[in-house]
Amino acid sequence: MVDMKNVNVHYSSGVDALVDVNLHINDGEFVFIVGESGAGKSTLMKLMMRELTPSSGRVFVNGRNLGTLKGNKIAMFRRSIGVVFQEFRLIQDYTVYENVAFALRVADSSNKTIRQRVPYVLNLVDLGPKAKHKVRDLSGGEQQRVAIARALANDPGLLIVDEPTGNLDPKRSYELVGLLKEINRCGTTVVMITHEHNLVRYFGGRIINIDKGSITFDEMIGGSDYYEE
Amino acid sequence: MRSNNVTYLIKKGVSSVWKNFIMSFASFSILLVSLLQVSVTVLLILNVNIIMSNIEDTNQVAVFVEDSESESEEQHQKKVEHIREALTNNEDLTDVNYISKEDAAKKWSQAMSGPSADLINMVPGGNPMPETFTVRVKNIENIRATVAAVQNIEGVEQVNAPYDFANSLVNIKKTFSLIVFAMLAVLIIVSIVVVSNTIRTSVFARRNEISIMKYVGATNGFIKLPFFVEGCFVGILAGAASWGLTWFIYNSVYSLFTENVTAWQMLGFSNLIPFENLRLPLLLANCVVGAMLGAAGTVISMNRYLKV
Repeated sequence: MVDMKNVNVHYSSGVDALVDVNLHINDGEFVFIVGESGAGKSTLMKLMMRELTPSSGRVFVNGRNLGTLKGNKIAMFRRSIGVVFQEFRLIQDYTVYENVAFALRVADSSNKTIRQRVPYVLNLVDLGPKAKHKVRDLSGGEQQRVAIARALANDPGLLIVDEPTGNLDPKRSYELVGLLKEINRCGTTVVMITHEHNLVRYFGGRIINIDKGSITFDEMIGGSDYYEE
Repeated sequence: MRSNNVTYLIKKGVSSVWKNFIMSFASFSILLVSLLQVSVTVLLILNVNIIMSNIEDTNQVAVFVEDSESESEEQHQKKVEHIREALTNNEDLTDVNYISKEDAAKKWSQAMSGPSADLINMVPGGNPMPETFTVRVKNIENIRATVAAVQNIEGVEQVNAPYDFANSLVNIKKTFSLIVFAMLAVLIIVSIVVVSNTIRTSVFARRNEISIMKYVGATNGFIKLPFFVEGCFVGILAGAASWGLTWFIYNSVYSLFTENVTAWQMLGFSNLIPFENLRLPLLLANCVVGAMLGAAGTVISMNRYLKV
């Protein structure tokens, strides 16, 4: 699903954000990417969604070499993945329904598909009853779920989630990761970027730690029943 | 792109005008002022051209027929007919009029008053007035070449042409055209700069929305379409409003020149173009230029926010 080979990212400010990163994520995996602020997690995410191209090395997602994508091919690629941002990035003037439908319209879906798909993904994140609410009237947790629904709208093979719990209280954070695990069980590859080690310990799975732009740890760990507030 | 999505984007574009009312109103106002200035300038040009043509039409060239004592009456008549034919066939001339010696003397007497009116009859050797043709040069810029051609007609003794008048008029026309085109160019450039800056402010306020569209996989065309429609719509509204205001201003000025006729008529202002003659072309031009300015301003302003 995701393949990075000898990837280096050097910013014009002089910072080496990623240094010789090699990474392979299989279809259907759930991967936590952890690390301190400034470690290179967001750069990794930007590479996966083709917001950034590496200074050297190659990035493949779904078999596509992202470095060679140009113009509308970038747009087409982004339709095949789902991305959830820490700050949600929803269109505040739109309703919940419109925000999710928008991702489908962008992918040139028919009205019939939109009418069928939007209620389905909204029910998946338990927001069906709030479809007609304006996004700006929702709580942080609800907005995060709208963002997940939007990311799932086009049935992506890969879901990239950036610090989804950053604006949530601990209880909502655990619920949200539980939801992402459910989505993963349905076959979607999930890459979740976080710096909350408690969450990672609780759920377990494949953990990749980044420090100063390099992968320092890449192991499977078991989850625990210890729920830490 | 599917038709349902195109319809959706067009609707979004139109509804954005009301949703972002303050910014739309700012764009509308700037476009309105720009289009109004351009419309008024264009009307000024059209009318000044008409006035110039009216003044141009007053040029009169006098062609004097050679008066030879040795020729018979029949020969003289043939000569006059030959000149008349040559003048009438000359495509650069119009309004060919013949003035006989008698008519010329009569005109002179009428122009004089009192005892001077009889002076013409006291000249030894009879009526001294020459036989004349009066003609008008169609294109005053070519007056010298046209007059030279007339001078070469057999039987023409002399040609009197208003060269100074023609020179002054040609110079005035050239200077006016230069000033007006410079004004128009400056107006259009200033309009584009001001309009695109105003729209840029509007697009800047919505940069977040644009970046979200990019992140979910929207193509540049998909993102631009509603903004393009919005720009066009505001442009058309501004064009229509500018047309209405131009109508009002123009009719006020038109009444001023046409109701108090005497003084203005003398200056050639009597034939100003009535607004009714320009109503539809001007409405169309205002709306089309408005839509183009609005759409171009929006799309140009957007490009920098599409690089995500």
